[in-house]
Amino acid sequence: MGIIKKVPVYAEKFPGGGIITTSLNYIFSQSQASSLWYLLFGTACCAIELMATGASRYDFDRFGMIFRASPRQSDLIIAAGTITKKMAPRLKLLHDQMAEPRYVIAMGGCTVGGGPFYYDSYAVEKGIDHIVPVDVYIPGCPPRPESLFEGCLKLQEKVKLQKIQDWS
Amino acid sequence: MTFEELTTYLTEKFGDKLELLETGKFEPFFLIKKENLVEICEAVKTDDKLLIDFLCNIGAIDTGEKFEIVYNLASIKKNIRFDLKLVMEYEGAEVDSVQEVWPCSNWYEREMWELYGINIKNHDNLTRFLLPDEWDQGHPMLKNWDAPDFKRMPEVE
Repeated sequence: MGIIKKVPVYAEKFPGGGIITTSLNYIFSQSQASSLWYLLFGTACCAIELMATGASRYDFDRFGMIFRASPRQSDLIIAAGTITKKMAPRLKLLHDQMAEPRYVIAMGGCTVGGGPFYYDSYAVEKGIDHIVPVDVYIPGCPPRPESLFEGCLKLQEKVKLQKIQDWS
Repeated sequence: MTFEELTTYLTEKFGDKLELLETGKFEPFFLIKKENLVEICEAVKTDDKLLIDFLCNIGAIDTGEKFEIVYNLASIKKNIRFDLKLVMEYEGAEVDSVQEVWPCSNWYEREMWELYGINIKNHDNLTRFLLPDEWDQGHPMLKNWDAPDFKRMPEVE
């Protein structure tokens, strides 16, 4: 009953336990926020931090974040690394292949706004928000796993606020 | 072969087709004319004392006045390295392909064609492969290149 006590706004308790009534919104968004599966999309050095985060030392799995190698199975795309202009249409395609509701995290300076490639580069897209809608920006070059955790917790807060009526 | 032996050998073999430059510190650096490029490349590949079997790089340089093209050559069997350099004007910049000699030059020359706009003669597949397919903004490695979303690094004092 520990969890139930924390959510009195959404869940109505019955004496003796065993049954609760709550809204579909709450159940859906809570369970979705707790199992955000992310697409493996590492294009540069941020992917190394992403791998470290996914491995046992930092253990991304405890947030319910498991990597998937297919956009059809993912809820979230963590764009880890520099997105070149040649890669941009591929990122858009992968984002379009994901089932809604879908989320995007821009990890690292390059995806946030070009980063070290802002000047003197003909090849790098200056921020992936030109291509796909971004939910959470995580600056850093590359961000440490703790930053990635913080970004994912922010995204979970956002997911918990959504309503199923808004799903398209 | 030491630096001096290699320089002497090549100068004797090719005579005035080669001109030794001062820039080479660890390996000889020769200026050649582009008419002689393929001939020299074939000769150094088949020569028993050189056996240049490895084309490490082709580098194109835009100096702001002229194009320079540098061929870094190496022999793995004989442990020899030296470089050939071509200098040419911007207008009608064109060079012969050496893919008959070293097939790996195919991609280097495509890259040179794509990023610098240097035309390659006798190349069998001059198509775009590094820049995006729909690219229409010219040759980005040129010194005077510019594009709407391209920013130069500001001068730092």
